[in-house]
Amino acid sequence: MSLAPAESIEDIKARNKALIKEVLEVYPEKTAKRRAKHLGTFEEGKPDCGVKSNIKSIPGVMTIRGCAYAGSKGVVWGPIKDMIHISHGPVGCGQYSWASRRNYYIGTTGVDTFGTMQFTSDFQEKDIVFGGDKKLAKIMDEIQVLFPLNKGITVQSECPIGLIGDDIEAVSKAKSKEYEGKTIVPVRCEGFRGVSQSLGHHIANDAVRDWVFDKQEGKPARFEQTDYDVAIIGDYNIGGDAWSSRILLEEMGLRVIAQWSGDGTIAELEATPKAKLNVLHCYRSMNYISRHMEEKYGIPWVEYNFFGPTKIEESLRKIASHFDDKIKEGAERVIAKYRALTDAVIAKYRPRLEGKTVMLFVGGLRPRHVIGAYEDLGMEIVGTGYEFGHNDDYQRTTHYVKDGTLIYDDVTGYEFEKFVEKIQPDLVGSGIKEKYVFQKMGVPFRQMHSWDYSGPYHGYDGFAIFARDMDMAINSPVWKLAKTPWAA
Amino acid sequence: MPQNPDNVLDHFNLFRQPEYKEMFENKKKNFENPVADEELERVREWTKTEEYREQNFAREALTVNPAKACQPLGAVFAAVGFQETIPFVHGSQGCVAYYRSHFSRHFKEPTSCVSSSMTEDAAVFGGLNNMIDGLANTYNMYKPKMISVSTTCMAEVIGDDLNAFIKTAKEKGSVPQEYDVPFAHTPAFVGSHITGYDNVMKGVVEHFWDGKAGTAPKLERVPNEKINFFGGFDGYTVGNLREIKRIFNSMNVEYTIMGDNSDVWDTPTDGEFRMYDGGTTLEDAADAVHAKATISMQEYCTEKTLKFIETKGHEVVAFNHPLGVKGTDEFLMAISRITGKPISAELTRERGRLVDAIADSSAHIHGKKFAIYGDPDLCIGLASFLLELGAEPTHVLSSNGGKAWEAKMQGILDASPFGKGCHAYGGRDLWHMRSLLFTEPVDFLIGNTYGKYLDRDTGTPLIRIGFPIFDRHHYHRYPVWGYQGAMNVLVWILDKIFDEIDRNTNVVAKSDYSFDIIR
Amino acid sequence: MSDLRQIAFYGKGGIGKSTTSQNTLAALAAMDQKILIVGCDPKADSTRLILHSKAQDTILSLAAEAGSVEDLELEDVMKVGFRDIRCVESGGPEPGVGCAGRGVITSINFLEENGAYEGVDYVSYDVLGDVVCGGFAMPIRENKAQEIYIVMSGEMMAMYAANNISKGILKYANSGGVRLGGLVCNERQTDKEYELAEALAEKLGTKLIYFVPRDNIVQHAELRRMTVIEYAPDCAQAEHYRTLATKIHANKGNGVIPTPITMDELEDLLMAHGIMKAVDESQVGKTASELTA
Repeated sequence: MSLAPAESIEDIKARNKALIKEVLEVYPEKTAKRRAKHLGTFEEGKPDCGVKSNIKSIPGVMTIRGCAYAGSKGVVWGPIKDMIHISHGPVGCGQYSWASRRNYYIGTTGVDTFGTMQFTSDFQEKDIVFGGDKKLAKIMDEIQVLFPLNKGITVQSECPIGLIGDDIEAVSKAKSKEYEGKTIVPVRCEGFRGVSQSLGHHIANDAVRDWVFDKQEGKPARFEQTDYDVAIIGDYNIGGDAWSSRILLEEMGLRVIAQWSGDGTIAELEATPKAKLNVLHCYRSMNYISRHMEEKYGIPWVEYNFFGPTKIEESLRKIASHFDDKIKEGAERVIAKYRALTDAVIAKYRPRLEGKTVMLFVGGLRPRHVIGAYEDLGMEIVGTGYEFGHNDDYQRTTHYVKDGTLIYDDVTGYEFEKFVEKIQPDLVGSGIKEKYVFQKMGVPFRQMHSWDYSGPYHGYDGFAIFARDMDMAINSPVWKLAKTPWAA
Repeated sequence: MPQNPDNVLDHFNLFRQPEYKEMFENKKKNFENPVADEELERVREWTKTEEYREQNFAREALTVNPAKACQPLGAVFAAVGFQETIPFVHGSQGCVAYYRSHFSRHFKEPTSCVSSSMTEDAAVFGGLNNMIDGLANTYNMYKPKMISVSTTCMAEVIGDDLNAFIKTAKEKGSVPQEYDVPFAHTPAFVGSHITGYDNVMKGVVEHFWDGKAGTAPKLERVPNEKINFFGGFDGYTVGNLREIKRIFNSMNVEYTIMGDNSDVWDTPTDGEFRMYDGGTTLEDAADAVHAKATISMQEYCTEKTLKFIETKGHEVVAFNHPLGVKGTDEFLMAISRITGKPISAELTRERGRLVDAIADSSAHIHGKKFAIYGDPDLCIGLASFLLELGAEPTHVLSSNGGKAWEAKMQGILDASPFGKGCHAYGGRDLWHMRSLLFTEPVDFLIGNTYGKYLDRDTGTPLIRIGFPIFDRHHYHRYPVWGYQGAMNVLVWILDKIFDEIDRNTNVVAKSDYSFDIIR
Repeated sequence: MSDLRQIAFYGKGGIGKSTTSQNTLAALAAMDQKILIVGCDPKADSTRLILHSKAQDTILSLAAEAGSVEDLELEDVMKVGFRDIRCVESGGPEPGVGCAGRGVITSINFLEENGAYEGVDYVSYDVLGDVVCGGFAMPIRENKAQEIYIVMSGEMMAMYAANNISKGILKYANSGGVRLGGLVCNERQTDKEYELAEALAEKLGTKLIYFVPRDNIVQHAELRRMTVIEYAPDCAQAEHYRTLATKIHANKGNGVIPTPITMDELEDLLMAHGIMKAVDESQVGKTASELTA
């Protein structure tokens, strides 16, 4: 299935070019012109991947993207476990995003923790016509009665809120005052805003800034501060990712005072301006708040990558470089400690995966961040793209991909299917909507948003699981059964 | 170091290792500002009380853990049942990503559906251009035979007019003039997913029968011997529709399944991705006007559709998700009466086998208390079956069941000696159910995947029947209709009952005596 | 059903649209036509002269009380007034909240689904001043109002609104069956009002159906929450409304697809009638002190 080793980079580039030309032929002229800008081949030495990004999806093409509400409620705010997040509007948005993202947490759900619950204002026609502010206020009162241990409330706006002109800010302020300064955060993440989940991340970040941080001005930390306090930013704890990351940071001698936002709490959000360093995993969804804390509180931030031993090592050293020798030694100690494990994992799985090719299409950071982990197992990325990346993501991607890699931004269902059909990778990594399309085609697949209900994939512990899962997908005997023995 | 390359620990076991447990404790103690244990315990216990239930049921504005979704989900469900048809949802694009994910998680199958990707500018100026471009793109890329248009709440709030937009799009050449683009307004803030199913089915039928939005002559009905069949929104559609076809064939009934999505959500893995598979042909959908009768398996999924069809002179018969012996009897007798075809010997045999199975097992079910929640018709079907088994459907709750449903459901309960003290709850959610299960406990809970939280919190074992089922595989391939379907439901209920008996008797030197190998 | 005539009155707020429509419809009722009035203005004042009431309970307020619109029965929302005219008001939120346009959609869907249009000869929609969003265009969608009557006067803003409404009609005329029935000028006693109204009608490709003169008796009737037709059926003003009603009745099928004009053309029209002076381009954007300097 893999590309013949003899195939030169020039051949690959020519093939990509022909392939792109071919898929564009199906579109009406105007659409072809617009889509052409999002498809390309990475050229070594270029500052980005040569594609346009963060532009409106084209109607009717079957984009894989979601919306701003998904970016705020589903990604940034939803995992804050001790707050109640109201999906404000009709019932659907909250229903479809209910507990489906695997943001693991520990707590007594329904009593002091609310992560896997669906709170909705379940808008009816009359709420649209007469406005929903009074209902929202009443909802907050009812929450206070029935869930007295909640530490705060967020209002996650669905499309109608912005269209009918509800003033959720006024309701939130009034109720916050009524409940003695309770943190109540209105979030204007209506699904029609922006072009994808991405604007929802930004809006959610801004809401933390305006409705959480600003209230904390001048308040002391709840704990004794140390020189080694850091915050994990942009890890949603999918399958426990933030935990298998946190353990490494703590082992090297740092103290993690906050997790954003997987298994996170409002207390951790509030404490973050006390950190000495913010370590940022998902740049796309949380660079905004990191930059804000840098400007406002002087907290530096550093991007890291905890997928696969090569990148983990590099990242541990990069994080340690912001601290003294004690931490630097700690990083080396951690690297040494886990070397036997990673060596054993690679020894076991690399022979089974060597030379296998992969095509990715994911969100936030993964279209680039996971590449190192695949390469640690001897695999090769032949195509990648972002659901909602911006140009700065594509710039960062240049450090990961090889010359000639096919790049597709906001890929359409049609394009993705055609690309995979022609390139015939050994594995596709994307989301639930794509999974069964490719499995039907007989192509092994892993969901790279939810880790296909496995995980964690972050950190050294996660790498072993990652390797096992990729082997399991590619070398499953099922793929040899797809063709009948009697077919011609 | 807990991880082991020879036996890789993933989330199930990794986080139970001492290193992680210690880390969790420290995180909580130092940084989470946790609620004090005693306070947590106090509130936890309080949520189980009668007092809490009262306040919980006094809620007027807040909804917690509802068992319903929004209209466009049902719209997509209905649309994919027509041959080579793409559902096109006019409005924000995130909604479509949600519907596709939701169905794929349930059926473990791809779900193709497009959006008109309206954004802020469309919110201000209306989504006409999105419709024009969107229809053209979908038509050219995916070459569907039909595009079925519905709406998200965004398009409904700003008041986009589908009829006018589609006409304009055709004039601009997005799709050919004579191309089939049925449409239905499906506002998410009215009804639920079952309403969306109804609206789209009505939209499709109206399109084909009533002159394709004024572009063709209306069809003149010339009654024939066929019957039309609507399954309604149904998580078991794959297994059920196949079973229904088997039943109809067994009785030599001529039929048209309207919106047959049993193939598109059950395609093989053989090297080919089938974006379309099976489905009601457009010719059959049009010809269905001539049928002598129209049958709906789910009254509350087809209220408007049946009302419209009735005006064409069809006899219309609606069931409430018939399940079990009597339910299936009534269904088959109605088919037989309408078509004049006798109920086949094969089906009669199957009935006997089902009664046989019930007789064999009823001792284990009789008198057991159940809580049920789900779509209104499913609740009626399940509750009726339980009553037939001598079980007591103590709480029957439907988030999308209205007052009429509540009255009907209560009537069924009141009419049976096993329904004493049993109650129907329309318009309530699973947080209400939680209070019911704490204050009036039952032996088993029947519901969809979300019921697992109730199972955990209240210790009521969950039997998974409903939609969606995300955390068990392949149930949608089994029928729950017909005698064979009832047999499946019976077995699922029994399996859980027996598992529970074993689980409660498997402690050595404590309950060895009831840990029987024969039950 | 096929003989049902669906008409709508549109016009700028405050132009006397509701007064004109109710008097005309009362006159039609007096001609033995069975009438249903659907008020589509959140102010809910489209039926008060027929019902002799301050304001009718609206569909939306009743729905909000009952829970949802599905919980309502037709008799809850429909009142019967002068000469058996059936009246419903859609209603809507207070200014500044919610979505009144959606309310119009909700109400009309409810009425259709519950058979409110059965057994009537005329359905008349009375619609808020301007087409401000998709919801307010609901009454001119396909299978709704076939003829629109725009109530206007010789004032510039009323003419501007009339032109705008014509644009809305044009948009739907291509895909649906809606047509402009004509203009009804409600006299404001502005300069050359009749001529202007005639000229605008011509520009829009339609005709001035009637010029309703101003008469204080209308106010007298209104104070008693009555139409002139009922209050003083023999007065001259009542005769005017009867004439207007007769003209509308005879106007069936004579609607046109309007030809709205540009702002410049509208200004030209006003200048041609001496209502507006030609703009001296050198003076545009100059303050008073600059001009005197």
